[in-house]
Formats: sequence, structure tokens, C-alpha cells
Amino acid sequence: MRFAEKGKLAATGIIIGAAAVVLTLLGNPGNMGFCIACFLRDTAGALHLHTTPIVEYVRPEIIGIILGSFVLSLISGDFRPRGGSSPVLRFIIGFIVMIGALVFLGCPLRMVIRLGGGDLNALVGLVGFIAGIGCGCIFLNNGFTLGKAEKQTNVEGVALPFITVLLFVLFLAVPSLFLFSESGPGSMHAPVAVALLAGLIVGAAAERTRLCMAGGIRDIFIVRDFTLISGFVAIFIAVLIGNLIGGSFHLGFSDQPVSHSMHIWNFLGMFAVGLGSVLLGGCPLRQLILAGEGSSDSAMAVLGMIVGAAFAHNFSLASSANTGPGINGKVAVVAGIVILLAIASIVTIRERRKA
Amino acid sequence: MEAEALKVATFHSHYGAIMFKKRIGGDASLKPVPRSLSSSCGTAVFFTSPFNAESTDENTEAVYIKDGDGWRVIWKR
Repeated sequence: MRFAEKGKLAATGIIIGAAAVVLTLLGNPGNMGFCIACFLRDTAGALHLHTTPIVEYVRPEIIGIILGSFVLSLISGDFRPRGGSSPVLRFIIGFIVMIGALVFLGCPLRMVIRLGGGDLNALVGLVGFIAGIGCGCIFLNNGFTLGKAEKQTNVEGVALPFITVLLFVLFLAVPSLFLFSESGPGSMHAPVAVALLAGLIVGAAAERTRLCMAGGIRDIFIVRDFTLISGFVAIFIAVLIGNLIGGSFHLGFSDQPVSHSMHIWNFLGMFAVGLGSVLLGGCPLRQLILAGEGSSDSAMAVLGMIVGAAFAHNFSLASSANTGPGINGKVAVVAGIVILLAIASIVTIRERRKA
Repeated sequence: MEAEALKVATFHSHYGAIMFKKRIGGDASLKPVPRSLSSSCGTAVFFTSPFNAESTDENTEAVYIKDGDGWRVIWKR
């Protein structure tokens, strides 16, 4: 049973890794075939939520992931509108996860893709990510929960997928509504049809297998189970092989695409992402998948991430490639971690008193 | 018969699973929820000891018993 699940997760990982390599070859930025944080940030820019000219584009991959999960969950019966589990806290945690990711310059998925390209800065990020997840697991083991999700109406469950469709239609029909980068990462993208198709496939496969970049490490810590981590490992191997074949594997810290080598901030950025992801019950990719399955709680986390991305650029919190974060970004990451720890501590103490 | 059959309990929180496992003792073990039961990735408790509804609390979602290749619900909140 577990072996079959591991096989499906490994196959999903290979699909995601291969898609990331192909999307990069077709135009996406280096080591950024897929990056949930970067793509939500680009989409926020296209929607005028921030006006940093180099990161503005409606990323079809995000639309595809949500719709891939939505359609498959409708077919398989997994679409079950649920919500009401601390929606405001989820928004805040999603916001902080995005700040951490944009200080590191990538979500956990891009972290693995960067590792597969030989970027050792991502290894520092991975150590921080594992530490953050470990910290989150201490709270889980001591009673942390954001509360029970209750059944919601179909209208509530369909809201985010519907907005996603609307965004895509407007993107194709009235592109003048949006901002598009003329240079920088936002200007680099694969053809729309290919990006959408890749997103649909990844969304459907991740829905079926429950692939989660944080969940794999969390399960090792809390239940000593290595099933989910197999997807994580497969993505790394697929990207590594793809980069070795394509000649784009460059081992080292310097001159890596869209990255910096300020190790403490790579560590702390991904610590915030790891801790926040455990509190939310999944990484940014998993939040998109759950939102597609009708979870309005995860939809709140996604909205928190989009607003977080806008704040990250409007208030100079995001890192710059090569130079890393400025003082605003450093303060924001530390404050974000303190807020996450405060939320986790207060909720855990309250739950222990109830028990 | 039921006393020896494999059962699985699902929960609204990981801590709920920990507390249930403590209450029933025996050979109970914490594992991820089977994919066939849920698309969520929470923690479940697998056990073979007899199921008693008094072992549940507000965090317990459902209890299933192994039935051929699948699971049959025997208790649900």
C-alpha cells in the first residue's frame, strides 16, 4: 500500500521536475520552472497590487494548478467545500510565509529546483526549512491546531477556482488591464498554452497524491513515515538529471539564477516558510491544491500570500538577486517568525488548557 | 473477530490522534491518513484492539474497519 503510494508520489515528482526543466527551456527564468511564491508575486504585480516593473506577469501555471486540482477533485469526489478554521490566522500565516519565501527568493518547490540546478544557497535554505518544520512539529505534538473546518456551501468552495477562470479569460481577452514586465524575471515566460497545461497536469497529479514539500519532512518528524518525502526526492532527482543533460547544472554559491548568498537570511527566510507551512497544514503548492478542492481556509492562505507578495515589493521586504534582503526585509522576517511563534504558543497553550 | 481486525481512526488535529493513541494503548500506531479515506494529509491511528466509542473525543472524526481491500465506517461523529 505504502509502496504503491510512494510510487505514485515519485511519478508525480518526476512529472513536476520534468515540467520545471521544460518550462525553463521554453522561457521561464533560471531554476524557476515552477515557483509558487514567485508566480503569485508576478501575478500580484500584473494585478497592480505592486508596481515593481521586473516582476509582473499573470502566470498560467498558478491558474492551471488550481484548476487541475479543482477539476480532478470534482471528478473523483474529493471536492468538499470546507472552511471556518481560523481564516484570519491563516491569512496572516500565508502573508508571513510569502515574506519568508521572497527573502529567500523561492518557495519550497523552487528551493528543491534550485538544489537540482546546483545552487548551494538553496541547501542553506533547506536547513532552515527543516528547522522551521521541526519547530512547528513541537507545537503540533503539544496541541497546536487551527481548529476544525466545517462544511461550507458549494458557492464558497467554487469561489476561488471561479476567480481563477475569470482572471485567465481577462488575461487572454483584455491583456491591457494588466501590467507586464519588459525586463527581468517577469518578462521571462514559457508560452501560455504550455504553462497552463503544465499547471493543469501538476495540479491534478499533486491533488491525487497529496504531494507537499513541507508534509514530507513533517511526517518524518511526527509519525516516522517516509511516504510523502518520496515526491520531494523525485523532484530533485528529475531536475538534477534534466539540468545535467541540458548542461545547466552549476554547483556553487555564486552566480546562481535569481538568488543571493546571505546565508543567515536564506536560513531564516525558509525557517519562516517551514514553520508557517506546518501551522497551515501544507506548503504553498499544497495550499493551491487544497483551495482547488474547495477549502476556503486554504483559499484564505493563498490570498494572504498574494497580499504578502504585494507588501513585500511595496515595502522593499523582498530580496534582490545577488545582494539579498535590505534592512526592511531582515526586520520583516524576524518579526514574522516572532509572530508565528506567538500564534503557535498562544493557540497551543489554549488547547492544552481545554484538554 | 472485530477485536483482531485492523481499524483506523481519523481526527481533526494531530494532537487529537496523539491523545486517542494514549487512551487506547496497546499496539496503536500513528500514521498518515490512508489516501482512500481522505484527500487531507492528517494523522490517523491504526489499531487492532476492540473499539470503544468512549475512547473518542471532540477531535475524533471517524473510525473505520478493514473490509477486504477497503475500509468500512463503524463510527462517525
